[in-house]
Amino acid sequence: MNMLHLLRIDLKKMTSYRTFWVIGGLYFLTLGLGAASGMEFLKWIARTFEDFGTKLNINRIPLYHFPDVWMNLIWCAGLLKIVLAVLIVISITNEYTYRTLRQNVIDGLSRAEFLFSKILTNIMLSAISVVMIFVIGLVTGMIYSPSLEWDKMITDTEFFPAYFLELFCFLSFALMLGILVQRAGLTIIILLLFPAIESIITAKVDNYLPALIPYFPMRSIWYLIPWPFPRYAFQEIQDYIKWGSVAIVVAWTVIFNYISYLKLKRADI
Amino acid sequence: MEAVLSIKNLTKHFGRIKAVNNVSLEVKAGQVFGMLGPNGSGKTTTLGMLMGVVNPTAGEFTWFGEQPTHEVRKKIGAVLEHPIFYPYLSGQKNLELNAMIKQCPVTNIPKVLELVELSERKDDKYKTYSLGMKQRLAIASALLNDPTVLILDEPTNGLDPMGIAEIRELIKKIAANGKTIILASHLLDEVQKVCTHFAVLKRGNLVHIGPVDDVGKGEETVEVSADVENLNELLLAFAGTSSIDRENGSYYVVMREGFHSKDLNKFLFDKGVVASHLLTKKKTLEKQFIEILASS
Repeated sequence: MNMLHLLRIDLKKMTSYRTFWVIGGLYFLTLGLGAASGMEFLKWIARTFEDFGTKLNINRIPLYHFPDVWMNLIWCAGLLKIVLAVLIVISITNEYTYRTLRQNVIDGLSRAEFLFSKILTNIMLSAISVVMIFVIGLVTGMIYSPSLEWDKMITDTEFFPAYFLELFCFLSFALMLGILVQRAGLTIIILLLFPAIESIITAKVDNYLPALIPYFPMRSIWYLIPWPFPRYAFQEIQDYIKWGSVAIVVAWTVIFNYISYLKLKRADI
Repeated sequence: MEAVLSIKNLTKHFGRIKAVNNVSLEVKAGQVFGMLGPNGSGKTTTLGMLMGVVNPTAGEFTWFGEQPTHEVRKKIGAVLEHPIFYPYLSGQKNLELNAMIKQCPVTNIPKVLELVELSERKDDKYKTYSLGMKQRLAIASALLNDPTVLILDEPTNGLDPMGIAEIRELIKKIAANGKTIILASHLLDEVQKVCTHFAVLKRGNLVHIGPVDDVGKGEETVEVSADVENLNELLLAFAGTSSIDRENGSYYVVMREGFHSKDLNKFLFDKGVVASHLLTKKKTLEKQFIEILASS
């Protein structure tokens, strides 16, 4: 079966499902509104904390200036990937609770094709997020930037493929958890607790083998795109993507999807 | 006849439990094949392996002489255990999704909905359907790709007598179109009414396989009553009598080989007795089934 057909099968399941539209709608709404209202947020801070406004002229913080806008938006948007992951968990665990995975296979979908249809949806949702942030960044950048220079506009756009990878890896993780756990509630709890558990472990590891820390899955995903805001407090930040980090996240993406494949292939469904 | 399904030494163990043990059988084109067995005898597990959802521990099987792949499954319509659909989708949309999976035209949908008499409810969500409607939608979905083989697992489970009769009529209608049907059930008269062949599973083992017509062969029992005092002695005097049993005012005469009810009738008539009630009873599948289970 070709890829487009598989994607259409999965979308057919989702697009008549109200929860999909509610969560998906909230995600894209929050993404859009949140990304576009950074200046309002700064003004609010300035009003609330008096000395913040007097010490710093908020209009001089180039939050939405090219090229800062790309990294700022992408980093903030990355926080919302949890919402998208919950959507994926619901989509896959439904197939177990309704036993429709079983029926899909009986009807003639191979197990690999089933998994592929889910992975393609992950790719599609990641791509839509990327496009959305690109459009918002372009519009807000054009509004707020004092001058529009081509070389400034295309600087830092390598964060987009990194953002795509970050989302796709995390959604692959959510899909794998759903396939392993098979129950929505438990999967979501594990998904939310996993970063916390991992950071407890890394805190221990930090004492013995700090070199290992960048290889942990959640750590590698969450730190792929560095935190940009310290640069406005006159600190040095890493304003580029490390190839090593990319390699680690790609490796985890492959591992997550391969575990999903093995589990699906071997299980009696 | 061409073998549609050929199973060799199929085995499935769940831990220490042998759910299916070394089962071999063949289903030929055009047969309505009944799979009988008590609950937990391995019927659904066997069908699950044939449809690719349960991985066999050992053994193999072929569909249409081919190795089983997901492509082959598209040519088979199957409902295992109970109907499975997306509850939040309408019957129509569920079938559209199935058509996409089976890669068959959506134009088949109105035809199968018509056959199972669900056209009027097609746009209602699946979760609002009654059990009978769910079963019928499942049969519609199984027929969607105009399959040559249909697998039905307990298709009348949980239905009321009306629903059972409807599904039975539907199966007969489908069988009349020359489709091969594999029907798993523990309702024995259902199998006797619609099947041509049957197999019996017991604790995962195949203990019997043969045509349903053979069930009625062999000794015949005749139920007889007449308004005479000495009927018992008369029946004992009849050369074809093997044994006599009296129940509810009627005599049940088990006949010897080669004797039939008409011989008994003629004998009584010659003695000047007219039977007021004469009924040939063939052995039921139920009786045979219990005998098979007891002797294995």
